[in-house]
Formats: sequence, C-alpha cells, structure tokens
Amino acid sequence: MFVGMSDAALARRIADGRGEAEAEAEVCRRMGPRIRLYGLRHLRSAAAADDLVQQVLLKTIEALRAGRLRDAMKLAPFVLGTCRMTVLDVRRSRQRQEQLLEEFGRELIPVQSGAARLDGERLARCVGALRERERSVVVMTYYDEISAIEAGRSLGISEANVRVIRHRALKQLRACMEPTA
Amino acid sequence: MTDNLGTAATCDTPVDPAVLADYWLALLPAAEEAAVEAHLFECDACGARLQSLVDLAEALRALARSGALRVVLPEQFVRHAAETGRRVRQYDFEPGQTVPCTISADDDLLVARLAADLGGAERVDLIFHDAQGVERGRLTDIPFRTGAGHVIFQESVTFAKAAPSSRMVASLLAVDANGEARLLGEYFFEHTRTIPGPPGWEW
Repeated sequence: MFVGMSDAALARRIADGRGEAEAEAEVCRRMGPRIRLYGLRHLRSAAAADDLVQQVLLKTIEALRAGRLRDAMKLAPFVLGTCRMTVLDVRRSRQRQEQLLEEFGRELIPVQSGAARLDGERLARCVGALRERERSVVVMTYYDEISAIEAGRSLGISEANVRVIRHRALKQLRACMEPTA
Repeated sequence: MTDNLGTAATCDTPVDPAVLADYWLALLPAAEEAAVEAHLFECDACGARLQSLVDLAEALRALARSGALRVVLPEQFVRHAAETGRRVRQYDFEPGQTVPCTISADDDLLVARLAADLGGAERVDLIFHDAQGVERGRLTDIPFRTGAGHVIFQESVTFAKAAPSSRMVASLLAVDANGEARLLGEYFFEHTRTIPGPPGWEW
C-alpha cells in the first residue's frame, strides 16, 4: 500500500506513527538508490557510497520520526541536503579512511557492480569500432578520469573538441551496447 | 520528472545524456551540477539512465586499464600509468630501426614510441604489415601533437601475449587533403614470444 504513495504522504505517516515500519521501508527503497548514485559520484568508491546510504537513511528516518521535516513535500531535497552535509563530514573527518576505501574498498567489500553485467567482449568490439581520436579520448577519460583539458593538450585536440568527441563516442557506444532484437 | 512516487516509468524533462556524462565526470559548473542533483533526487527515470552510464564508465575503465586496446596515447598517459604502479613495457623506435621486442605475463601495458617529424602533417595514419607485406591493421587519422616528435602506440597486451614470434612493420603516413600520402617513417618489430603455452597462430 505504500509503494504508490507520494513522498509527502510517507513522511506524514512516519511522523504520525501510522504504519511506520512499512512506510520507513518504502522511504529506504525509494531513496537508497538515489543516495548511492550521489555517493558514487562524490566519493568515487562503492564501499563509501554504501556507507553513505546507511548514514543518510538513518538521519532521514530519525528526522521523520521526530517530525523535524517541517514541509513533508520536501523529502527529496531534505535527503539531498543530508547527502551533501554527510559527504562534507566524510571528507573533513575521514580523509585517511577515504583514501583506504578508495584503494582497497573494492577488494574488502564485495560490491555488486553494474559494470559486471555488461558484456566485456562486446564492449571491446564497440570501442574498437570507434574512430581513433574517439578511442584515444575514451581511454584517456575513463582510465583515470583525466580531465578534458589535460587529455586535449596531450593529444593535440582542443578542450571543446575533446568534449564533442567524448559525447559522440559515448553515444555510439550506448547504441552499440543496446540489446539487439 | 516522475510523479514523485519513486517510479522510474517516464520523465517529462529528461536530463541530456551528455549532461549526465559530464555530471559523472565532475565537469559541470556548480549551479548546473546542483540542478542536476535536485532532479536526480526526484526522478528515478534519469537516475536509471545515470546508473547505466556509470555501469558503462566502470566497464570502460576496466577495459582501458586491461591494456587490451589498440590505441594511440600521449606521453602523459604512459608516465601516469607507470607512476601509478602499472607495469609498462616500452620500446623506442627511430625511423627505419629494427627493435627486438617481447612481452612477459606480468606486463600490464605495451607501448611503442615511434619517432617522427610530424611538422606540417594534417592527418596521420598508422599502418601495420606482416613480414610478407600483407596489411594487418590500419589506424586512420590518429591524434597527434605536431611538436611531440613521436607517436605512442599501445598494442593490445592480449594480442601480444598470444602472438607467435614474428616480424611486423609499422608505417606512419602523413595524408594531405587530396589523399596524397607521404611516408614519415617505417618501424620494424622483431617479436619473440617468451610466454610458455600454445604456439599461437601462423600468419
């Protein structure tokens, strides 16, 4: 019954103590993937992103239970704001731990990676079909996320062109990796 | 945008895939990044599209780091790979030079630095021939920096580790707007297989 409920209605349910456990579970199901993506983007570690999901969901549920979310319509902005604050805290107080997570996180904690679902051989063929400049830019960009400025300068391509080339390559790769009928 | 029910069915104002890609690479201005994040926290359809981009980015990262791609790369990349602990086997060639080369099982990347005067070149192609002169590969319109004085080519370690002992010739050609080609240099690889196992194929 909570699956189709709006964020605002869920927030009110939890604050009122009605159907609390199921409503809380729905908030976690709904917000968890969004928080994880945010964590992956800003912490660049699957393990750190999983930690962020737990921390932010705990803070969110606590706030909802205590009725601290004044405007129940603003659950998503509240969760996003909590993500931002938590990531800042993580960066301030756990720099060393973050480095270790970056370095060893993938080995220490088994993470279900979406990349594993992709057909590696097919991707290699798709990358092999790119034009030379596209392949060079893609390798430079994703090997270690070398910036467009650095990649362009060292390849003799302007920064603006690197962006165009990267987007064209990604578009071609997405099309190439789409399931065939 | 979704109907705020957490469903990923549709989005009336989907974020452009190029913007999502830039978001993932932290290339957006702060205000645009904040707007994209606010949207992502309301819209699971765009979240799912970002997730598929993240999956692709992770797979590309793994592929790039595997050393299995034939690709032209700059000096900066080779230096960075070596400084971050990758085992990079490198060979330097002058035009006309024959260089004995091999690869070991624990090499991560294999690169050849082909010296050439690239001044005045509009387009450069890199072509490979076997010992019989049969063309075995062509990289058309490779990226290059005019003043670099060389082109760095990464050979696939997967290919090289399986290759039999053989001779290969690489040629750098400058191609003008009319399609006229000018030889910049030829480079001769004398590859000796040192990894035990099946003998590989015969060309």
